[in-house]
Amino acid sequence: MADKNFSQNDKPEANYWRSFEELYADQKTLEAKKHEFSESVTDDFSVDKNLSGISRRKFIALLSASAALAGAGCSDYRDKGEVIPYNVKPEEVTLGKPNYYASTCNGCVQNCGILIKTREGRPIKIDGNPDHPVNKGKICAKGEASILNLYDPSRLQFPLVKQGGIFDKASWESVDSQIKNIMDSAAGEEIAVVTHRFNSPTSKRLFEEFKFKYPSAKIYSYDVFHNEIKNYAWKKCYGGDVFPLIKWNEANIILSLEGDFLGVEGNVIEQMRLFSDRKNVNDVKSFNRLYVAEGSMSLTGMNADYRFRVRPDNQLAFVLSLLNELISKKNISSNAVDVNIKNIISSFSLKDFASQNGIDYKKLSLLVNDLAANRGSAIVYGGRALDEQTQVAVNLLNEVLGNTKLYRTDAIDISQSIYSSSEELKTLVSSMKNGTVKAVIHFDTNPVYHLPQDLQYEKALGKVSTVITLSESENETAFASNYVLPVNHTLESWGDYNVRTGVYSLQQPVISPIYSTRQKEAILLNWFSDDPKNYSEKIYLDYLKKNWLENIFPKISSPFTFEKFWVGALHDGVITTKEAADLNLSFSSSSFKGINPAKNSNKNFIVLITESYRLGDGRYANNGWLQELPHPVSKVTWDNYAAISEKSAKALSVKNNDLIEVKAGNKKMTLPVILQPGVADNFISIETGYGRKNSGVIAEEAGINVQPFYSISDNSNSPWMVTNASVSKVNGSYKVISTQDHQNFDDTLTKDAHLKRDIIQEGTVLQFIKDPEFLHKGKDHKLPNMYDDFVYNDVKWGMSIDLNRCIGCGNCVASCNVENNIPVVGKDQVAMGREMMWLRIDRYYSGTPEEPKAAVQPMLCQHCDQAPCENVCPVAATQHSPDGLNQMVYNRCVGTRYCSNNCPFKVRRFNFFNFRDHYADGYYLQDSVSLMHNPEVTVRSRGVMEKCSFCIQRIMDAREEAIRKNQPLKGSDVRTACQNSCGTEAIKFGNIKDPKGEFYQYRNHKLGYYVLEELNVKPNVTYLAKLRNTHSEEV
Amino acid sequence: MSKQFLDYLLRVRLPLVLFVVVAAFSITYFVSRAERDGVGYSPVQPIKFSHLLHAGTLKIDCQYCHTSVESSRHASIPAASICMNCHTIARKDRPEIIKLTKYFKEGIPIPWKRIHKVPDYAYFNHSVHVNKGIQCVSCHGDIPQMEVVGQMNSFVMKACLDCHRNAQAKLPYLKQVKNGPDNCWACHR
Repeated sequence: MADKNFSQNDKPEANYWRSFEELYADQKTLEAKKHEFSESVTDDFSVDKNLSGISRRKFIALLSASAALAGAGCSDYRDKGEVIPYNVKPEEVTLGKPNYYASTCNGCVQNCGILIKTREGRPIKIDGNPDHPVNKGKICAKGEASILNLYDPSRLQFPLVKQGGIFDKASWESVDSQIKNIMDSAAGEEIAVVTHRFNSPTSKRLFEEFKFKYPSAKIYSYDVFHNEIKNYAWKKCYGGDVFPLIKWNEANIILSLEGDFLGVEGNVIEQMRLFSDRKNVNDVKSFNRLYVAEGSMSLTGMNADYRFRVRPDNQLAFVLSLLNELISKKNISSNAVDVNIKNIISSFSLKDFASQNGIDYKKLSLLVNDLAANRGSAIVYGGRALDEQTQVAVNLLNEVLGNTKLYRTDAIDISQSIYSSSEELKTLVSSMKNGTVKAVIHFDTNPVYHLPQDLQYEKALGKVSTVITLSESENETAFASNYVLPVNHTLESWGDYNVRTGVYSLQQPVISPIYSTRQKEAILLNWFSDDPKNYSEKIYLDYLKKNWLENIFPKISSPFTFEKFWVGALHDGVITTKEAADLNLSFSSSSFKGINPAKNSNKNFIVLITESYRLGDGRYANNGWLQELPHPVSKVTWDNYAAISEKSAKALSVKNNDLIEVKAGNKKMTLPVILQPGVADNFISIETGYGRKNSGVIAEEAGINVQPFYSISDNSNSPWMVTNASVSKVNGSYKVISTQDHQNFDDTLTKDAHLKRDIIQEGTVLQFIKDPEFLHKGKDHKLPNMYDDFVYNDVKWGMSIDLNRCIGCGNCVASCNVENNIPVVGKDQVAMGREMMWLRIDRYYSGTPEEPKAAVQPMLCQHCDQAPCENVCPVAATQHSPDGLNQMVYNRCVGTRYCSNNCPFKVRRFNFFNFRDHYADGYYLQDSVSLMHNPEVTVRSRGVMEKCSFCIQRIMDAREEAIRKNQPLKGSDVRTACQNSCGTEAIKFGNIKDPKGEFYQYRNHKLGYYVLEELNVKPNVTYLAKLRNTHSEEV
Repeated sequence: MSKQFLDYLLRVRLPLVLFVVVAAFSITYFVSRAERDGVGYSPVQPIKFSHLLHAGTLKIDCQYCHTSVESSRHASIPAASICMNCHTIARKDRPEIIKLTKYFKEGIPIPWKRIHKVPDYAYFNHSVHVNKGIQCVSCHGDIPQMEVVGQMNSFVMKACLDCHRNAQAKLPYLKQVKNGPDNCWACHR
């Protein structure tokens, strides 16, 4: 770490930097950059320690024994084993061909439609369902990687009953009858069912019937992250229950206040699609402009055209100042603004706000002008973490500007459940403590980890004699229960969802339960069925069909019988009805009463708990792929951390990886620090979902539990925000690992001309409109070839990545991991630079640490025409193909790593171990996980190099199909895994030589450039330069 | 030349050289026999199924049983249910058919011995070859004339490439045939 502390004298240079150490020319970092790999990359790899424990004597003994055996058992032929066919082949299975089933993801409350690829009955890949009207064929990284949860070796495999503090295996029959006896004897004592928000109409009916059967039953519902404050403010302003959906694609100007609508809030898949609809490089005049005012550095903030650092507690003052500026200076009048409102806002001046918070007033006035000029086609979005007063002010701002036109009136978000209020939860806990609760049923929830510590839920749970937890895997709550009942994974379950007006989607199992598990709804249904002993797997399917026949089928005037309709609906995965949404858009000015922002000194620390981009609220903590997927902004893996600004760090005299203690009231915790450019001063943002206990080997080793700082919400104050925290440095350090500063190349020669290396090229919209050729001006010199050009066949594969559309979410990386059998390597190996992901998202900063401009760039094998790797392989294991691919042949590879050394893009990955065997004592080498592997891609072992193959298995599939149909192979026949998952359609793939293909225009676009063009390696990946939509012609 | 040196040459050097030469020859011979590539391998199958009878005499098309060969990478060994299409009626009294019926009724898959095997790092695709008009016998030998099926040709990479690089000569019955791809990722990935 930096010996030389960050001093003001070291003036930042105007080039891209990746870390503070690099920005301030830290000696160690500069030294490290001189080397290809970090020095530790070959550490811990001594032959005698890691390869084999067998001694020389033993080896020779074994050798001679096996030689003797070989001689004795010598035959002319090697036995090739058996080839076992089906006894009766299922009609729909063709060996070697995948089947696809439409279903619904149940990973979060958004319930996106998914399409599951199965091979010989095993699900191997999850993609979005293209027919689903909301997510339209795309899903997030969590959805992509959730397939690993199905095969997770630490899934619960049979019912467990706790006796004398120890869990024993039990049979379903005995558990069912015991629990039924307990519930039948409840007689007025409460049976509490604790669930997350659910969107299933059939579940709703199930709970109603459950309550009918057991009148003392009560249903509680909670989520750690929700939109309740927004909804509550909306109710105050407009009277509706739910904050409406936004037509993001019609917004010219977007102002997001601490709102991560591209990252974690709402249906991000839909939002990123609509947002990027206005980033079409063939129509740059229609580009939208994104302003972000936030304290943390979010994924959305990273994509902003203008970004202001505003602490969440100053957002209200900011919105009121904007209102004042717009109403008084721009003379915008609105019926919504009455005298009272005018009085409140008149004391807020934008100029004062700017000076108090260190914001450039000129930039703010650009925002004001834009908002004034784009009335009715702009949107101000308040993040869900902001308090009710701010939300009301945001609603008023949109009302005044006429932006309510951008609210969707045809559809709203629908939930079948209502969140329990904090009062209800408090009552539950107190009656648990009083012993008036007969049984608690956790319906696939983990309240011991999730619910605020102030509730003392865990303590109260100890007073309840019967605690039943329905869970897929072990967790904190299961550990505190008497009965732990294993439930089916999403891919083993039936279900239905209605998250949007008129959109009903179905969930169907694609594999029979791998273990002795049951669907959670079926467990409940079975308890109050006539004959619980006679459980059948169809019990919930019959119930679901009955509900659809009675309640949903009548909503559509289908010309078919129900059975026919049902088969069709299952096939499509989703049906739409012509229901209308109920949305009232008349603003009630009285909602503004009592709005009065507290004066802030900006001196106290604020802590904001955010949803993990990768783990959600923690339910994906035992998923190695998601743990290892780097954070989209900081690129940290396997950990959460306190992100603080450089100035705050200096004030606390801490550096990266130092520990701080955060205290608020009677709570305190110790956290490692990461200096995050762009974070507001005296502000800490932390992701939750980490620091799990009793939740599986992967979850337990990662991060720190920050849930204790989560507080009880009363729908007006943010439960995720701690406003009066005191922070101090404590001794010790904790190594937080990120993938960002690996793989430096020696750029001391070009240090002052970093931008000239053209890794990131960018311009502005105005610049492009003025001169579309600006990117390539003065760079048209012809470079001489070192080698003869290859001759290519009819097809030459290429990819283009549009940096205007790419937001850096990392969904493509998750998709690539699943498609190509990428192993999990573990935190210690990532620390040594050995992560195996074929595709990475590089993130660069320019500007100052306070106001960084971020740029992201997906980096994968560039499949160069004149590839430097090919020339140096001593065993010809990497070769050029006649369709332009740079081929890697595992069988030839002997592991010299010369190719990686010579690769200018550093996209090759070496298997230092058989990582499946090496990570966590072979955790992912277990049988269940091998069922998940894509059978069309080799599972690589120790000692070979690997890299992106442009999804050669998909290319070969398309070729096979073309030959079968006797048609020429077209570029559009192939969709790579990353392309398929890209929510913003930034990635295009196709045939470079086909001028008629859609891909051709992107390959030859005026904004197209190659990374490190001067090396003349002629990559087949084209990047389209990012155009920032600023008011200037200069970047 | 000293006597001592000659003695050394004859007693030590010569036998050593001879041994190495003989050993090298015999190992090379042993390893490079066609049998080492599996040519001629015809194991005893759990049911004495005769391709000579079915494909030869009765002239049942290969694809009646090996169904997925046109559409998929794998030719697929027929499920017992396909045999039972005929044998629920035909020749029910024969001992081998009784064996077959037993497998089928008890739901046990028939453990056929594998004869043709391409290593799993080679992603051979049946359908592209069949759809280009290449006949099964070109690789598998004259199966319709075999009472017990054995491997006729070697299935090593050289065998693939011999044809891929010289298709006109190897497949004279295909007039329009072009050479197959000979890049690595055509088979290995």
